Amino acid sequence: MADKQNAQKSVKIAAGAVVCVESEIRGDVTIGPRTVVHPKARIIAEAGPIVIGEGNLIEEQALIINGYPENITPKSEVEPKTMTIGMNNVFEVGCVSQALNIGDNNVIESKADVGRNVILTSGCIIGAFCQVNTCEVIPENTVIYGSGCMRRVQTERPQPQTLQLDFLMKILPNYHHLKKTVKAGHNAS
Amino acid sequence: MRSPALCFLSARQLAVTSVLAVQAVSPQTRLRCSEMASLLQPDRVVYLVRGEKRIRAPLSQLYFCRYCSELRSLECVSHEVDSHYCPSCLENMPSAEAKLKKNRCANCFDCPCCMHTLSTRATNIPAPLPDDPTKTAMKKAYYLACGFCRWTSRDVGMADKSVASGGWQEPENPHTQRINKLIEYYQQLAHREKQDRDRKKLARRRQCMPLAFSEKYGLGTRLQRQRSGAPISGLSGLTLKEGEDQKEITIEPAQALDEVEPLPEDCYTRPISLPEVTTLRQRLLQPDFQPAGASQLHPRHKHLLMKRSLRCRKCEHNLSKPEFNPTSIKFKIQLVAVSYIPEVRIMSIPNLRTMKESQVLLTLTNPVENITHVTLSACEDEDPDDINSTAKVMVPSKELVLAGKDAAAEYDELAEPQDFQDDPDVVAFRKSNKIGFFIKVIPQKEEDGDVTVSFKIRHDFRNLAAPVKPSEEGPETPAEAIWLTHHVELSLGPLAL
Repeated sequence: MADKQNAQKSVKIAAGAVVCVESEIRGDVTIGPRTVVHPKARIIAEAGPIVIGEGNLIEEQALIINGYPENITPKSEVEPKTMTIGMNNVFEVGCVSQALNIGDNNVIESKADVGRNVILTSGCIIGAFCQVNTCEVIPENTVIYGSGCMRRVQTERPQPQTLQLDFLMKILPNYHHLKKTVKAGHNAS
Repeated sequence: MRSPALCFLSARQLAVTSVLAVQAVSPQTRLRCSEMASLLQPDRVVYLVRGEKRIRAPLSQLYFCRYCSELRSLECVSHEVDSHYCPSCLENMPSAEAKLKKNRCANCFDCPCCMHTLSTRATNIPAPLPDDPTKTAMKKAYYLACGFCRWTSRDVGMADKSVASGGWQEPENPHTQRINKLIEYYQQLAHREKQDRDRKKLARRRQCMPLAFSEKYGLGTRLQRQRSGAPISGLSGLTLKEGEDQKEITIEPAQALDEVEPLPEDCYTRPISLPEVTTLRQRLLQPDFQPAGASQLHPRHKHLLMKRSLRCRKCEHNLSKPEFNPTSIKFKIQLVAVSYIPEVRIMSIPNLRTMKESQVLLTLTNPVENITHVTLSACEDEDPDDINSTAKVMVPSKELVLAGKDAAAEYDELAEPQDFQDDPDVVAFRKSNKIGFFIKVIPQKEEDGDVTVSFKIRHDFRNLAAPVKPSEEGPETPAEAIWLTHHVELSLGPLAL
């Protein structure tokens, strides 16, 4: 029983993912293949597990947190909600993401702040320093930009950062130690 | 309306002053950095400019005409265009070419959505080789993209171009022909009127009057501007060139149509897609088309900026003349007030209470290299300049002596510190060309706004520009010192509760 609980709370990194040791990953986090997690990125699963898909790029000082709303730990046991992040997303430097559902091909630019009740579909771009904490589903291919969080719809989704991912997967191991990949279902070694 | 070089100068002075101030002030009066920074905001201390209008402006935004020995603000100088340049590619453009291209750059584009500069991006697309249609090779295709709002030229349906620059065209205005015809007609009309006027006036006036004097739609010359006192009208640039054919051009008057295009049937029932509707700003930046839908927003060429030179209206000397090169921020002539007039800055303000005397610490900086003597005096009771002050102020009655600005002083360790006999009640500290001194403030009114005080500052100014008259005393005569008086107003913040 205790083993099973421990196993649930560990970090599961798929083969092919590049996760630097200096990143802080806490709680029950699953990271898919071809995902790159830079040093000083923080992925914190407090109020439930986080599942990250393939091909994501999580840059320095990005914070992906599945936390309790308004930082209040509920006294009674609340059902843990899983945070799902799809494929080919980019979390740029210094962004904060608390959205529970993120689709594919989204870009959250530097220092943007995405609230817990936002649902990002696909192809959305949250511009730099934009704070989106409404309670809504952002339609596909929406761009939020500017100091007034203006919106517009673009005709094509942002390209997946394959070139950048390949480059980082080659270069990062030369300068950083990586966390060991652990298959889901095994105990952490 | 500020010149960028002035802002740069005053920011550097701010940084240096705040560092020095923290070192010189005793721990008891040390403030938090954020409070210190708000005291150094430029509009806390304003100087009065006595021009055509009475203008109060911070010293960093003022100019000093050393031939008239007076402060000048941006509103009492005449602005002249020096050169045009594009802000993104920094390419200089002669004025004639700028006029031809409607003051827009040939290479750079603005995003129609967020007005940022567009950059050219390239993709590889497979395209059939011209020799062998069955094989495909990767060819580069270029499109415009905005880095800020992610707008691309593909959004409005503009095809990718095969050349990196020069392939992009702005859409034609359908009314161009009509507008050109109207412009030609009015040019001819203006030319005819000018000739009529000149014929009448030439009989009375001297021959050396410039022919451009009486142009109705002409470029504003200095004489024209001084006479009318109004800024250049919007129809400038419509002068007809000398010697053009005097063809008679007739235009048909515009005809009003009875039938108007009817509204579409689903005008009231169709749901609005908000991302598709353009904002007013996006719409009005393209006055030719004013598209209502975002899919018709085409990029436009980038507007040129200009470098301007300023000229004193009284003595016609240049006060500010920038360098011609767009990449250079320096000036050929830079007669700014901060390099001639001692600057007053607020250093610390205690809690101000109504009808209670408090001591405010101010600093006075000497910008010139010789010793300056400064006398402060409170405003008289019936001073017409003193309209804003809400507190009584008592300034030091003794003359304050400021050392000259010596750029090498910080490196010269052997220099003896000059000994000025400073009264410790008046002078708080002294550091190279700067002193800190106390003034006593008694707020008079109990109100919500800021406490404002004003006083007069009188200093000696050595005019190095004026030619030194040879005198019998010897070859080394110092330049004559004249005494200048300025009216200074300080905003000391709200009363303490």
